[in-house]
Amino acid sequence: MREKILYILGTAAIAILVWNINTIARLPEETRQGVTFKIIFFHVPVAIAAVTAACVSFLASAGFLITRNFKFDAAAVASTEVGLAFLAANLVTGSIWGREIWGIWWTWDARLTSALVCWLLYAGYLMLRQAIEEPTQRATFAAVFSIFAFIDVPIVVFSIKWWRTQHPQPVFWAGGSFPPDWTRHFLWNMAAMLMLGIVITAVRYRQEEAQREIDSLRRMAHAI
Amino acid sequence: MHLLAQVPFLAQLATREEVLQHQYEFLSYGLTAAWVILSVYVLMMVGRERKLKREIASLKAMLEEKRGE
Repeated sequence: MREKILYILGTAAIAILVWNINTIARLPEETRQGVTFKIIFFHVPVAIAAVTAACVSFLASAGFLITRNFKFDAAAVASTEVGLAFLAANLVTGSIWGREIWGIWWTWDARLTSALVCWLLYAGYLMLRQAIEEPTQRATFAAVFSIFAFIDVPIVVFSIKWWRTQHPQPVFWAGGSFPPDWTRHFLWNMAAMLMLGIVITAVRYRQEEAQREIDSLRRMAHAI
Repeated sequence: MHLLAQVPFLAQLATREEVLQHQYEFLSYGLTAAWVILSVYVLMMVGRERKLKREIASLKAMLEEKRGE
């Protein structure tokens, strides 16, 4: 049953994204940035999916430290890995947009730098897990690291408010330039990305449980 | 430059067309990059899933064998 729901969600997410590419391509040019502005339809949804994954990872890590239940550890690693993939997509699409609009691939402004630091921190989290063999120690160290890494997430989100950045201000509220009739297509893309994120995280979570089963089978094999 | 683009009015059109083409090129780079990154990750997960299933099956078979002995 759970597998069926995941298949349906995944198929629906991909169907929405494919259908929306066609719709987005047919939308008129944006007044100031032209066609390149439409990268926002992917750039922002993947960013929101990445931030959501980081929040899940933070809660799961705290959950593990409180309960010592390995299901929380599996949820933390699954959401961190998926968030890392989404954040990579966000950084790359943003860089491509910057090359066209700013004329440069990268600038060391607060938003971009904090997002890159966030990516490096979560990549470090996954590397830390590879380095520790003992499961309880691995999960504990990783949970503590994940909670510290999460400190960077609000910095990424609010950097454009706290400092003067080259990165644009939000275009959806406070007089932003996002055309109101485009909001529907944007929300569809965002929903699809979140659905895709949920499906991939659920599959990755199951893999982590399978890994735990392998570890216990290995221990049994050694004991016999 | 195209001959027609030497006429001022058409030159403006040609430039606009060029700009539009350039922008579409970058938009397609952006969308392709997002899709490629997510697809590569999903493919890596599919590979990992197969490896895990194989490992579980072989460990279970080994345990059965050991118990049989």
